[in-house]
Amino acid sequence: MKLNEHAQNLGLRIGTIQIVAFVLLTILGVRLYYLQVVQGEYYSERAENQRIRLIPIPAPRGAILDRNGKILVDSRPTYNVVLSNEPIKKIDVTERVDDYANGLSLESKFVVERLNLIKTQNDFETMVLKENATMQDISWVESHSLEYPELRIELQPQRFYPHGLNMAHVLGYVGEISPKQLESEEYKGKGMRPGDIIGKGGLEQFYDEFLRGRPGYRKVIVDSRGRVQSEIAVVPPQSGQDMVSTLDLELQMAAEQQLAASSTKRGTIIASDPNSGEILVMASAPSFDPNIFVQGSKTPEGRKQIAAYWQEEQRPLFNRAIQGRYPPGSTWKIPESVAALQQGVITVANSNMACGGGIQIGNKFTRCMGSHGSPPLSYAITHSCDGYYYRLALKMGLNGLISMIEDFEYDKRTGVDLPNEKVSQTPKSFRSYVEKRDGKWNDIETVFASIGQVTVNVTPIAMLRAVSSISVGGKMYVPHLLKEFKSIGAVGQEGDLSYFPERQGFGFQRPEPKLIQMTTEQNELVVQGMWAVVNGGGTGAGIRIPGFDIAGKTGTAQVAALGKDTGKNKDHAWFVSFAPSHKPEISVIALIENSGFGGSNAAPAVKGVYDAYLIKRGIPLVDPDLVAKR
Amino acid sequence: MVAIIEKRDLRDFDWLTASLAIAIACFGVWQIHNAVPSESYWSKQIIGLFIGLTAFLVIAFSDYRRIIDAAPFFYGFGLLLLFLVLTPLGVEVNGQRAWLKLPVVGQFQPSEFVKIPTVLMLAKYFGARRAGTLAFKEVLIGGAILAGPVGLIMLEPDAGQAITYFPILAAVLFLSAVKIRYVVLALAAAAIFIPTAYIVGVKSGVIKRYQQERILAIIDPESVDPRGFGYHTIQSIITVGKGGLSGIKGDSDTSQSVLKFLPEPHTDFIFAVTAENTGFIGCVSLLIAYALLLSRMIAGARDASERPGMLVIMSIVTALSFQIFINVGMALGFLPVIGVPLPLMSAGLSAILSTFIAIGFVVSIKMRRFVN
Repeated sequence: MKLNEHAQNLGLRIGTIQIVAFVLLTILGVRLYYLQVVQGEYYSERAENQRIRLIPIPAPRGAILDRNGKILVDSRPTYNVVLSNEPIKKIDVTERVDDYANGLSLESKFVVERLNLIKTQNDFETMVLKENATMQDISWVESHSLEYPELRIELQPQRFYPHGLNMAHVLGYVGEISPKQLESEEYKGKGMRPGDIIGKGGLEQFYDEFLRGRPGYRKVIVDSRGRVQSEIAVVPPQSGQDMVSTLDLELQMAAEQQLAASSTKRGTIIASDPNSGEILVMASAPSFDPNIFVQGSKTPEGRKQIAAYWQEEQRPLFNRAIQGRYPPGSTWKIPESVAALQQGVITVANSNMACGGGIQIGNKFTRCMGSHGSPPLSYAITHSCDGYYYRLALKMGLNGLISMIEDFEYDKRTGVDLPNEKVSQTPKSFRSYVEKRDGKWNDIETVFASIGQVTVNVTPIAMLRAVSSISVGGKMYVPHLLKEFKSIGAVGQEGDLSYFPERQGFGFQRPEPKLIQMTTEQNELVVQGMWAVVNGGGTGAGIRIPGFDIAGKTGTAQVAALGKDTGKNKDHAWFVSFAPSHKPEISVIALIENSGFGGSNAAPAVKGVYDAYLIKRGIPLVDPDLVAKR
Repeated sequence: MVAIIEKRDLRDFDWLTASLAIAIACFGVWQIHNAVPSESYWSKQIIGLFIGLTAFLVIAFSDYRRIIDAAPFFYGFGLLLLFLVLTPLGVEVNGQRAWLKLPVVGQFQPSEFVKIPTVLMLAKYFGARRAGTLAFKEVLIGGAILAGPVGLIMLEPDAGQAITYFPILAAVLFLSAVKIRYVVLALAAAAIFIPTAYIVGVKSGVIKRYQQERILAIIDPESVDPRGFGYHTIQSIITVGKGGLSGIKGDSDTSQSVLKFLPEPHTDFIFAVTAENTGFIGCVSLLIAYALLLSRMIAGARDASERPGMLVIMSIVTALSFQIFINVGMALGFLPVIGVPLPLMSAGLSAILSTFIAIGFVVSIKMRRFVN
């Protein structure tokens, strides 16, 4: 120390400053050790989490084809505007609502909904803000990429239903998985994420697992605003499996036309192969356009239309073939006839029963449409004699009816491969209710039930299945729409984390048909009666096709008391049939709601399907009038 | 002012101090490159380094005593510059009017430079006094010398820079034989006054919302304000921690600064960049280099032949130590985010130039330790 100032302890004071400086540097060193050495791995991971993103690559869904390979549903490329979670966490999203709504022509209510939903998601996930982006939307997003780095355009295969309203109920539609579904048994633990597309309704829902592909992803590095900087890895998606259905597009279109041409334009037509249970046609009207569910769920107009579908009185979303329950009217007499023969109430040799023009139960007289004397079974079928069946059912008794219901499985679902099938309502299911109401099961209930009224409401599919079984000697197949799923090849290298193994193709696993016990003679007797309905001057004589013997049964089901059965309360018209009558290839059922008599409303609709079938089969149609003129 | 370099000058020239400073600055250039490889900040910094070296040599070979003699002139000129910042000649960046744009000279930050005339002014005043305990009047005059530049800087407003002036006065008073009891008293007063001032400031609205957030962000950066200043602190901590033991060695694919997670990587957060790229080993090496540099300067202060030189060196040592602590402490997430550059490391011509000028004085004083 050159400065001679010991009195001030100058050396000590300089030393103090030096020590303070070193202490400060040591504090920094200790903190560094803690952050870098002790916590290094933790922060390294946090840094990785904020820069690595998995951008999903949606997998195309499998197509749905008809039995001849014609396309019923496929996917086509569309562009979506996608919202990323990460960048918007740092901003006040309420400021964006109006910008998005204006820029992408969305409803602000919807934008708010989406923004709230994405807030509940994990970091770095994305959500579709607008599907089917137009060129305008795309250029808006691109030109605002600096302002709104959270928006991105993504190519997405979108489900497309080229046939629109036709067979919409069978095919169903797709949409985003709902928060509730994400938590459901069905989808939990399957790696589903919000925004994933799943089947909703119809085959899309029933076979979702197979139709759905396995999404791939791009692993990318992003900057702090979520913009992709570079790509680390790509895992390609695996498409869903293509489904070949049992439907026949041409027959289906014929049926759709018949419904469209019917008087009320409400009803259903189903056709199947009675030898296997394969469903060739399933049409239900009024219908809906599945494309609106796919494309419109995020636009104001689309949502309005979807809301209208749900509210409409005529229930277009309702699949009348498997969900509609209608009094079967006289079509009920076919299984009933088989049951009566089985139970020995009548025999092949002696099947006569009095008509009496009706029946007197207590002080109430229930009439028959005609006076048929004491006809045999086949005549009663052909001319739909109610009086015959009043007495037949009374002889069978309630237990006889119930055993018939159980035999033909009217107390169960048919097991068709569609979701939300309804079970028919029958005296079996109504029994406890009626007995509670009236104290006992009165004969009048049996009389009404004998002609498929009051305590009987069946689904068209259940009726077709029962009648089809009679056409093939009692083999009751499970109706189904799946023919086969095609295989799809493996994606990626075996052993990789991203490896998707091959998904094998498979055909429909047909359960053994339930056997309805009856002798050949009994079967023949019933078929004979049905043959004559069309070919023997019966109630369906109007649809006779020379050279192609249709066996059928009309039904005219009352929906309101006599006298009030006009206008919208007119009878439901039924026709259930198969052909050719003695070696059946196809069975067809039609139900036209509130259109009146079965023979003149439902039967012609069935004929339309047979006509299309014959054209397909290559049998020249012979016009009976033309033959007569020669 | 151009000195005639004599053989004796070269012999007495403090090569170690100069080498350490240049080494740290070169290391800084590399980190600036790591921070933003796509921009030319690093090459501008090299130019700045050369300008700084030139100034350093000029100062080192000048006779500091004459410069100290002229301290009032430099001090006055400094105040003028700080005043000009507030006129339309000043440039506003991020709400702070801290820059001055002059023809020919270009844009620079006077508050960085004015520290030097302030040091010289304090050294001149306190160096001239005789031995004995400090009179209260002297303390007031010291305060007044500081109040000029600090007041003008607060008007910019740049609280971060203003804060770095206070340790200079503290060091000068401490070394001018202020009684230890006053030191203790001052520390006690600060311990009471600072929190009180904060609370009063918040209540009265003098401390603005954003300033409060900077402070609260330190206490709990994850929850207080993850979008604003908390975000800076969180990202800086992540960047530092991610470096681990030996760093990522310039891998720009994963770099926090290249991906823009780390804000201001080439200036305020250059230490976080260093930590990410060179890890614990690199950071500790840097801190040791600073420690060596400071020790070397302090040794010069002990050897100084007269009071003003000793005061100049110790003021500079104190100011540098304080800036290093504040800047690194901010990068390590335990001090509030205020814009104090890391000496010799942060990109910026004003900062590197003023630091080299300061070190130039240290070397000049050391070189003349045998002169009478």
